[in-house]
Amino acid sequence: MASEKDPRRITALLAVLVATAALALGLAACGGGSDINGGDTESEEVKLEKKASGDVTISNWPLYIDKQTVPDFEKETGVSVKYIEDVNANEEFFAKMDPLLKQGDSGGRSLFVVTDWMANKMHELGYLQNFDKSALPNFEKNLVSNLREPKYDPNREFSAPWQSGMTGIIVRKDLAPDVKSICDLFDPKYKGKVEMLNELRDTVPLVMKCLGIDPEGASEEDWIKAIDKIKQASESGQIRRFTGNDYGGDLTSGNAVAVIGWSGDAVQLQADNPDIEWRMPTEGCILWSDNMVIPVGAPNPTAAEDFINYVYDPENQAQIEAYVNYVSPVESVKPILLKEEPEIAKNQLIFPSKSFTKNCTIQPSPTSEEEQNLNREFNAVLNG
Amino acid sequence: MRRRVAPYFLLGPGAAWLLLFFVIPLYYLGKLSLNSGVFGSYEFSWHWENYSDALQLYDSQFVRSFVYAGLATLFALLLAYPLAYTIAFKAGRWRNVLLFAVVAPFFTTYLIRTLAWETILSDQSPVVSVLDAVGLAPEGHVLATAGAVIAGLTYNFLPFMVLPIYASLERIDVRLIEAGKDLYASASQTFFRVTLPLSAPGVVAGTLLTFIPASGDYVNAQFLGSANNQMIGNVIQSLYLKQSDYPAAAALSFVLMAAILILVLVYIRFAGSEALMGEEAV
Repeated sequence: MASEKDPRRITALLAVLVATAALALGLAACGGGSDINGGDTESEEVKLEKKASGDVTISNWPLYIDKQTVPDFEKETGVSVKYIEDVNANEEFFAKMDPLLKQGDSGGRSLFVVTDWMANKMHELGYLQNFDKSALPNFEKNLVSNLREPKYDPNREFSAPWQSGMTGIIVRKDLAPDVKSICDLFDPKYKGKVEMLNELRDTVPLVMKCLGIDPEGASEEDWIKAIDKIKQASESGQIRRFTGNDYGGDLTSGNAVAVIGWSGDAVQLQADNPDIEWRMPTEGCILWSDNMVIPVGAPNPTAAEDFINYVYDPENQAQIEAYVNYVSPVESVKPILLKEEPEIAKNQLIFPSKSFTKNCTIQPSPTSEEEQNLNREFNAVLNG
Repeated sequence: MRRRVAPYFLLGPGAAWLLLFFVIPLYYLGKLSLNSGVFGSYEFSWHWENYSDALQLYDSQFVRSFVYAGLATLFALLLAYPLAYTIAFKAGRWRNVLLFAVVAPFFTTYLIRTLAWETILSDQSPVVSVLDAVGLAPEGHVLATAGAVIAGLTYNFLPFMVLPIYASLERIDVRLIEAGKDLYASASQTFFRVTLPLSAPGVVAGTLLTFIPASGDYVNAQFLGSANNQMIGNVIQSLYLKQSDYPAAAALSFVLMAAILILVLVYIRFAGSEALMGEEAV
């Protein structure tokens, strides 16, 4: 009997098992999601009421609202709001919500905010409710004209823009003074100092523009062509890495000197560091909107509509705008901010003029048939 | 009677825990890995192609993961052994302070510790200027290179290497070492013929505890690497969260587990068992 040796062996084997288990579970945890409870389930009854009341759960992206709007709304309407910032990425949020929405359950949410293409996708799957327009007089009256007829929702039946924004270039003007176009990002002079967004629908259409392809109505081959160009630049080390909005840190430290980024971030970064500057690409930018939508099975849709109507009041919107710094979808906010915060009102990134965005393209999205393949190709570039 | 029941009674909670949170999820993961279809309508269909696809599409990330994890384990061992040795034999009254220092990083979360390396290795940092000056940063930057990822892995898993080695060194009967000296062995002979073999179980445990989690890690590659340094964990994460391709992700997880298990078994068979038995087996 090897009784003296056994305990050691067992220790080592246990170490293996524990570590393997920890690894497996750690990875498995990626797939998990959390459910949110809350809100009334008696939606039918509430729908019949004229005045909103009760509880409402709203899901939005992080740091996408000021601290005062929700309490103000609660005070004015008597509705109690559970405001959660659990939308971090469209795909991730969709993966979490899909099994619920398929069964007509919104996970307790009455309202959430997703980007155009995701709103479109969810609508095609029958996951969204149409608005009761009579409950949304402010929305009808104050939605800016250029957002009134998007292709996917020409009458704005189920989507109400929360904020819009531009995807373009953000540079360190001291370190990359001559980067003016998307094509400039491929200049070997900036090898290892360029970063791009890890978003298929932001990065790839911009690179198409550099290739002279109009992203609107681009074919699958056009997408692939642009992805190939990105791939080459990534493999050669031209592109340092692909980021979410953590490119801000790299610009500040000088690790990156030119990145593809979002306009709202640029406003913030410029304010903190005078060397950082937004550059409208000579090829133009990508214009996108994030939209409030009411999912199927939403408890208390009346209160959700009340909230949409509330944020479409220019006074209330101005308060959000002063904090968020993206492009507001609400008319007449500018005059209010001109009085209160003229710096913001005069900023082209927050109130862009027609000439400023003249070459910009509404964010394109591949068809659902093309989507899986393109996603795979693009992620293959991201993962080397 | 009571004696026979006691072990089962003691094993019970742990076994139940493992069953509930490891075996059962593993079963579902296995089932998921054999699904086919597109997101929203995955169906179980013994779809073994998920496995061959996983190996074909992501072989380079697999190799990269094991190379990075292997190098990190090697570097961690080279750093940890002298450290553990010093703490066990030379630290005197500083022993507890040093042990605390080894464990102290755990008071900060893993993510923050990794992000700290982003600052340490930032292009303008003094560390990078020095490395650049001595020619260790051929690309002009350290972040977004394989070196940064391996360094991050080494750092993050170092305590898992130090503690088991320390534990086995600390348990060594000092009289055995003294006996070696009495028998005219030189210091290095004593070390290689007495101390090192006796501490082998700690080395084996430490390498396993470092290599296994390091090969599945994705945080270091994400923050410290470029697209060309992404590891298999990053691919699995992207398949789960960005592409919602659960079957492929599940299949990859299984392949990773199997690959690690095989590597570890081979390791224990050739290096491990001898080390575990030590001189006693002779």
